[in-house]
Amino acid sequence: MIDEEEKLRTISEINEKIKRGDVVVLTAEEMIKLVESSGLEVAAKEVDVVTTGTFGAMCSSGVFLNFGHSDPPIKMTRCWLNDVPVYKGLAAVDGYLGASSISETRGIEYGGGHVIEDLVSGKEVVLRAESYGTDCYPRRHIETVITIDDLNQAVLVNPRNCYQRYDAATNSSDRVLYTYMGTLLPNYGNVTFSGAGQLNPLCKDPNYETIGFGTRIFLGGGIGYIVGEGTQHSPESGYGTLMVKGDLKQMSSRYLRGASFHRYGPTLYVGIGIPIPIINIRVAKSAAMKDDEIFVNIRDFAVPSRPDLRPVVKRVSYAELRSGKVYLGDKSVPSSSLSSYKMAREISEVLKKWISEGMFLLTEPLEPLPRKGRLKPLEIKRRELKVGDIMSRNVIMAKPTDDVKSAAAKIIEKGIDHLPVIDDEGKLIGIVTSWDLAKAIAYNKSRLEEIMTRKVITAFENESIDVVVRRMAQHNISGVPVVDRMNRVIGILTTDDISRKIVGGRNVI
Amino acid sequence: MKVKLIYSREVVEKPILANVVLRAGVPINILEARVNAQKGELIVSILADEDKIKEVLNLFREAGVQVQEFAETLRIDWDKCIACGACVSPCPTGALRFKEDWSIKFDDEKCIACKICVTACPVRAISIP
Repeated sequence: MIDEEEKLRTISEINEKIKRGDVVVLTAEEMIKLVESSGLEVAAKEVDVVTTGTFGAMCSSGVFLNFGHSDPPIKMTRCWLNDVPVYKGLAAVDGYLGASSISETRGIEYGGGHVIEDLVSGKEVVLRAESYGTDCYPRRHIETVITIDDLNQAVLVNPRNCYQRYDAATNSSDRVLYTYMGTLLPNYGNVTFSGAGQLNPLCKDPNYETIGFGTRIFLGGGIGYIVGEGTQHSPESGYGTLMVKGDLKQMSSRYLRGASFHRYGPTLYVGIGIPIPIINIRVAKSAAMKDDEIFVNIRDFAVPSRPDLRPVVKRVSYAELRSGKVYLGDKSVPSSSLSSYKMAREISEVLKKWISEGMFLLTEPLEPLPRKGRLKPLEIKRRELKVGDIMSRNVIMAKPTDDVKSAAAKIIEKGIDHLPVIDDEGKLIGIVTSWDLAKAIAYNKSRLEEIMTRKVITAFENESIDVVVRRMAQHNISGVPVVDRMNRVIGILTTDDISRKIVGGRNVI
Repeated sequence: MKVKLIYSREVVEKPILANVVLRAGVPINILEARVNAQKGELIVSILADEDKIKEVLNLFREAGVQVQEFAETLRIDWDKCIACGACVSPCPTGALRFKEDWSIKFDDEKCIACKICVTACPVRAISIP
């Protein structure tokens, strides 16, 4: 029986070897091959350090900036870089630019992530700021051009990066969804996923034996540090995260890339690599974990629920996801990543080179990452309006065999715009609006079933108004029949109901 | 070679493509089809040498089908591409795929210029000129 915890080497011993130039470093991919060919024990004895890498979209990223004082000086209360808002709830000329901050002139095509990339590339960026003016900071407006060299500090501080693993996505609905998981085709048309799997840093030390507070890492092409667990760190379910920091001035735009997901918004692709010192057999074993041993859920993004409540369609390994096709039932569905495996591999190789050439020493974590904790959802404690609260329950309806003329009369007499059509069992089979009646005249039709719209957009009584308003806007309609689970009409909700019954200045779009 | 075949109302209901395949003995891959009672438009890929392709195109013309060269294709800025793969699974024809080294390979022949990749790309490396 192997003692998995038997100490093989300490971090200071590894650092001595790095300084002497005889340290043995492998990338995680090379470690996997070595364990396969020579066995775990041999690999663990031979290898001092395994390098990892990941390169993915990490929205919770951003940079602390210090602009320096102008003369006369300004206490900036609002600030923009290339028209992207910078958070200014800090001292006079300190700011924080978040990766997903949205340009006020170019919209979601350009955001904080792009500004960060522009700064790192040495490009000029327009700085604009406003203030109310004080005795000590009299200036009220400033507009100038800066580069990263003009800044006193530019420190990348990312509250949540480097997910241990990440749930994959698919779409059961009948329309294309544009999400933070990319373009999801209708009817389970594809599967997208994120994370480097067998190269992913936290996957290679899932017990957080070597990765902790203070760990020195590859960050955006420069040197960075782990400053603690990331937000939403959820170790008990295997979804750990990291908070990291590093000097933006040392980084490279090859490993920090602004990006924007269509109809979702801007973000930043961040390159991170973490060295795993092989301190014992257990760490060697996890460092050699393969894609087929790392599992995530595929979730259905058609259900507009919070991430952990989206239905799980299947549990799959990164090996299956990366193979390019995933079986959902008996259907073969194309799958592809959103994070770059090629760049992840490159980062693990760069970090290997740094260590082998004595340019990067390992650090002893000051404290391990928390191993306990789960994600909490946000409970809504105030009563929220549901469809059932404001829908009209007295619904005027029609039969498919009704003639167009009587339907037109109904619409006029009752002052309504929507006429749901039901069968003999009360189930919804169509809807008629004044537009459909215009069709009847144009094509000389006389019965409702000839002109009614058969594909009816509906709502349920317990759905939130926000969700249904968005659905109506998407389909460009002004009313939805409200149905029960048996598809029987129990009410109708129109934009008229919404504008008349919602009070208190709530923005419903 | 990729071509666009335009069927007028007069010929849209005839089994022309099947006849051409039988007569020329050349496989024709339908990449995209939009057909109704009034008109039909097919984008097809013909897998054959130059002479054979000429023969195939003539057979279509003789049958009353209008033949247009289908030149629309993507332009990919490889300096911008980060090889993330966001374009790969949305691509309906497999024109965008991973290579062995996990960089992206674009197969011009398979592309039908549907444009889904243009918006799927998070770094806007793909455009249609």
